[in-house]
Amino acid sequence: MILHSETPWPALLILLPLAAAMLSFLFPRSAKFTGVVTAIIIALAVVGFGWHLQSEGVYRHAVGGWGAPLGIDLYGDGLTLLMLAVTALVGLAITLYSLDYFNTEQARWFWPLWLLLWAALNALFLSADIFNLYITLELMGMAAVALVALKGGRDALNGAMRYLLATLLGSLAYLFGVVLLYHGYGTVDIALLAERIDHQPVAWAALGLMGAGLLLKTALFPLHFWLPAAHASAPAPVSALLSALVVKASFYIFLRLWFALFAPLGGEVAWLLGLLGALAILWGSWQALRQTRLKLLVAYSTVAQLGYLFVAFPLAAVAGVVLWHGVIYLLISHALAKAAMFMAAGNLLRFGGHDRIVDLNRSVQQLPLSTAAFALAGVSIMGLPPSGGFIGKWLLLEAALQQGQWALAAVMIVGGLLAAAYIFKVLGYAFTPSTSREESIPIPATMAWAPLLLAFASILLGFLAPALFSLLDIGSPFERGAGS
Amino acid sequence: MLFDALLGLLLLGLAWLLLSCRDLFKAIVLFVAFGLLMAIVWVRLDAPDVALAEVAIGAGLTGALLMSALAKLPVDNPPGRYSNEKTHWLLPLTLALMLLLVASGLGYALWSLPVIAPGLSGEVAANLEQSGVSNPVTAVLLNFRGYDTLLEIVVLLLALLGVWSLNSLDATPATAEKPANLVLDTLMRLLVPLLILVAAYLLWAGANSPGGAFQAGAVLAAAGVLLLLAGWRLPTALAGLPLRLALVAGPVAFITLAALTLLNARLLELPVEHAGMLILLLETFAMFSIGVTLAALFLGQRPQERGGSA
Repeated sequence: MILHSETPWPALLILLPLAAAMLSFLFPRSAKFTGVVTAIIIALAVVGFGWHLQSEGVYRHAVGGWGAPLGIDLYGDGLTLLMLAVTALVGLAITLYSLDYFNTEQARWFWPLWLLLWAALNALFLSADIFNLYITLELMGMAAVALVALKGGRDALNGAMRYLLATLLGSLAYLFGVVLLYHGYGTVDIALLAERIDHQPVAWAALGLMGAGLLLKTALFPLHFWLPAAHASAPAPVSALLSALVVKASFYIFLRLWFALFAPLGGEVAWLLGLLGALAILWGSWQALRQTRLKLLVAYSTVAQLGYLFVAFPLAAVAGVVLWHGVIYLLISHALAKAAMFMAAGNLLRFGGHDRIVDLNRSVQQLPLSTAAFALAGVSIMGLPPSGGFIGKWLLLEAALQQGQWALAAVMIVGGLLAAAYIFKVLGYAFTPSTSREESIPIPATMAWAPLLLAFASILLGFLAPALFSLLDIGSPFERGAGS
Repeated sequence: MLFDALLGLLLLGLAWLLLSCRDLFKAIVLFVAFGLLMAIVWVRLDAPDVALAEVAIGAGLTGALLMSALAKLPVDNPPGRYSNEKTHWLLPLTLALMLLLVASGLGYALWSLPVIAPGLSGEVAANLEQSGVSNPVTAVLLNFRGYDTLLEIVVLLLALLGVWSLNSLDATPATAEKPANLVLDTLMRLLVPLLILVAAYLLWAGANSPGGAFQAGAVLAAAGVLLLLAGWRLPTALAGLPLRLALVAGPVAFITLAALTLLNARLLELPVEHAGMLILLLETFAMFSIGVTLAALFLGQRPQERGGSA
């Protein structure tokens, strides 16, 4: 009876973390238990939702029974499912990792904040309503800022403040666009808007505002200025979830809106996005190579890897659905690999008490599991076979070569080489003798294994392509924008 | 027409004064004035609900929050510090040009919008009977788009969580109790019961005229702010779990209702015959939590718990 198709899995995915956040706030002593149980049930609920999608097709649920345009609709297709699944997987790993990471005072705030962030992510992926999406963005942004500040100290507070201002500016721009669209077309439901939108100045203004707001949140070059400080100064599990999930969530909204509303409007905009993506790859990778601190290196690597997601836009007009599958693949494997990388970096930092790359040799040699996690995640980030990152980058590269876009192809290859350079810059210290004899803090087993398992997953992803591609075909959002 | 034009010009003038003001205290006073003027604009635009919210939250409570933040800032922050920094003239000019470009683009887009918007007021009016209340704003907030409100109430709690998590970083001792002030004390004794009454009225009135949980909660919070100003502090026995229960009562009521409606297979579908009662119940919990949360935000610090684990 549990797997009955009427079981409201999506509603559960939103309400459960919300309720768990309240519980962990009320009873801080059992917060860890609440967190672990929630993470497990969410994983099961995602499986249940996948089951439902497989058997019943696209999911649409009118909240309150009103239906769009009066009410809010929840919507789920293959893309939604994959985003929920990645969130559940990374979320589970972050939950396990965080059990021993925080001190009592920090844990008191971490658990409710993290569970609220999780609820916001799930709600965001399931929303079909641009105003409701704004509220989920707000919830996600506020929780993320508070989590960055959790570590305390000048750097973290500074990073959190910048992040707060950037994310608020992004939200306001997005909200302004929502207001324009509502005034112009009389609905905030994405599907209805898609039917009504036309070539009017108001649609252009909305595209500009919402696009700029979302790209600021996604940290596309040159709007990435807030990301390195925020992601590098946050506690390790928070960095992991920011880089793996939070920037992907705003990209997800951008993608949804692009296909439903803006693709018919924006032929030239696609080239602008591609150009910025290419610049992000080059600038981010170069900056990552120049860093002397491990966490900043990983953060700049995120700037670069986000660029790959945008390089696809100008190629899509010809390449079509396969290319978008590649983008989603890249997104998922980056989420897994980057979460693993930040957690592994957190272990090295905790063990040695610092994250200066040149002095890492001793930590690297004493922590084989974390080093292995970092290396495996690095394989996926570099895009080497057989990892998930390889599949995504290969599909992108293939499209660029077939269309004769040599410049874009060259940028992607250079980005891969630079990624290899900055990852070997770190791993190189595993093979140099260490001289320092400092005190070190032991790493609990969950903290060692959580990143390793995620890194394994990012490699394994390379073997799952056919299955995941067929999932993406459930109500594929890419058909609409592909041919035009 | 003339009145509206005057109102618009005043608003612009106040905004300019506010932004160019170097004295933070003055800027906050101007901000409150701006909020009050804005409320009149909302009334002129036939949006009394928004006007109420603007007065209670935009002008009143935000002003109090800003003042409380100002009081926490270090004093050795000379006004006009920024004017000494030399900036090249090219940067402001480029920024100004870019902003002008964006503003004119937006202006053009707004200009091209139809005057009569194809909004949803027709749909709202058509379904008002089913919603359980007769105030369309309340119907939208608590029924048609109740899911949004559920998440919004959580955002408010989240804001407090964020502030409290920051406070635990540096455990500065609570500011010393001020000596009792007779005028303030008397005023408080008169005003607090009145404010609670007003809050209850706003909550009740929300069903069929402007009002509702947010405005009522803000008024309740104003009572709390007055109490705090007069030196009242939450007893340490209540600062732990009881306070946390008060803070989450609204969100938890909402989540519980949402979970119960799931048994009927549809999220947040209120049965028509009970909708009015359920909305009032939700709003009561929400008002209570909003009031406590806003007052707690004003205090800033997490109240001292018994056992000293603040």
